[in-house]
Amino acid sequence: MAGLDLNPGLWVGIVLLGALVGLDGISWSQLMISRPIVAGTLGGLLFGDPGAGFLSGALLEIVSARHPPYGAARYPETGPAGLIAGAAYASVGSAGLLPLITVTLAGWAIGWTGSHSIQLQRALNGHLVGDPTAFGGDARMLTRRHRLAMRLDAVRAAFITAVFVVPTMVAANFAASFAPPTHARLSGALAAAGIAGLAGAGARVLGGRPRGWSAFAGGALAGAALGVLLT
Amino acid sequence: MRPTRSDHSAAFLRSFAVQGSWNYRTMIGGGVAYALWPLLARIHAGDPVALRAALERHASAFNAHPYLSSLAVGALARVEHEEHEPETIRRFRTALRGPLGAIGDQAVWAGWRPFCLLTAILAFCLGLDARVAALGFLLLYNSGHLSLRAWGYRRGWREGLNVGGVLARSPLKQFAQRLVPVNQALMGAAVTLLLVRLPVEASAPETIGSALLLAFGAYFLPARGAVLAMSLLFGACLAWLL
Repeated sequence: MAGLDLNPGLWVGIVLLGALVGLDGISWSQLMISRPIVAGTLGGLLFGDPGAGFLSGALLEIVSARHPPYGAARYPETGPAGLIAGAAYASVGSAGLLPLITVTLAGWAIGWTGSHSIQLQRALNGHLVGDPTAFGGDARMLTRRHRLAMRLDAVRAAFITAVFVVPTMVAANFAASFAPPTHARLSGALAAAGIAGLAGAGARVLGGRPRGWSAFAGGALAGAALGVLLT
Repeated sequence: MRPTRSDHSAAFLRSFAVQGSWNYRTMIGGGVAYALWPLLARIHAGDPVALRAALERHASAFNAHPYLSSLAVGALARVEHEEHEPETIRRFRTALRGPLGAIGDQAVWAGWRPFCLLTAILAFCLGLDARVAALGFLLLYNSGHLSLRAWGYRRGWREGLNVGGVLARSPLKQFAQRLVPVNQALMGAAVTLLLVRLPVEASAPETIGSALLLAFGAYFLPARGAVLAMSLLFGACLAWLL
């Protein structure tokens, strides 16, 4: 259970990073440090295993691929989710399939929780800046309220990170404590099918028409050939 | 008065925070007014009534893709500078909303971002160090992202009311369409190699082969396929624990 050695300094570091990746997601810059592969790698780095963080982030990318942020659509908030998942998986030393699927599912749930908190924040923002006549032409008031909304967004993301990081790490540690069962390959087959299914659904949503399946199939075949060569 | 270079720089930098106060009443209207403020203050210097009216005008409902909002900021500042009628400016704002959202969503969220993400995942699966893959993603993605923001701002300021023609002529739409099959292929390759990278219980060839069959099923029935796939992930955990 070494992963539960989360000292206060590390916890504060993760929470601050959570605020940063939360801000990046919508309010400020969208440089995409909030993508799970980046946030997950950052989380993994904190526990000395960036590869584990990237791997969990990549799975979270696949899981959330079918929810692109078109228009005002609702979509999972991947920044804090990816960071927490990456940190949790790295904290157990990338120990097997069950912890990996556990942090991926936890990241998915945290992402949707973050999404709901964003809806609440947007409703609050409506009271801050939703009435253009309320400023009376005072740009300083607009600037103050706009920046206050951004600060609140950072606090919101930090709160999500602070609340969920320990339970996710506990869950990852709990999952890592189970030795592979005799039917581990069944679990593996179910997990692989789930991930592949989500990738197929995500590819379709990302602009693929029914006839675009040939490109998807070609890519899968090329990937399989490369996989054989590499192993 | 004509905005100075530093006014333009300030407005461009502020456009990075255009979604900072996103809300259901005015969407990014407050953010656009926030970004425009350095320019409006210069353009309407000495005319507080016009400045107040301009601020109210631009804080009203508006939406656009965040990266292309720099184009809106540039173009709206131009039409303010050219002293068009308030009604003309309002109509122009309304006309900009649709194309800036649709083109940005297609070119960036459905095109460029998945392309960069999947390339990074592929590179990681092929053995690239995770830190290099993540950093490479950020560099590749943001080279396009920052170029788009800068191009949008410059063209918006230069073209003003004619910016619709710029959008119609821009290669963004074709670029997005060409990336669709590329992204499909990258997704297929990335997920296959990702399955190979999974812990050993999930990476047997027959396991990957049957998983890919489900991927094709989900491709044709994405909604039901995704529900089934999520259930399988939960099932994998349960099967391990029982």
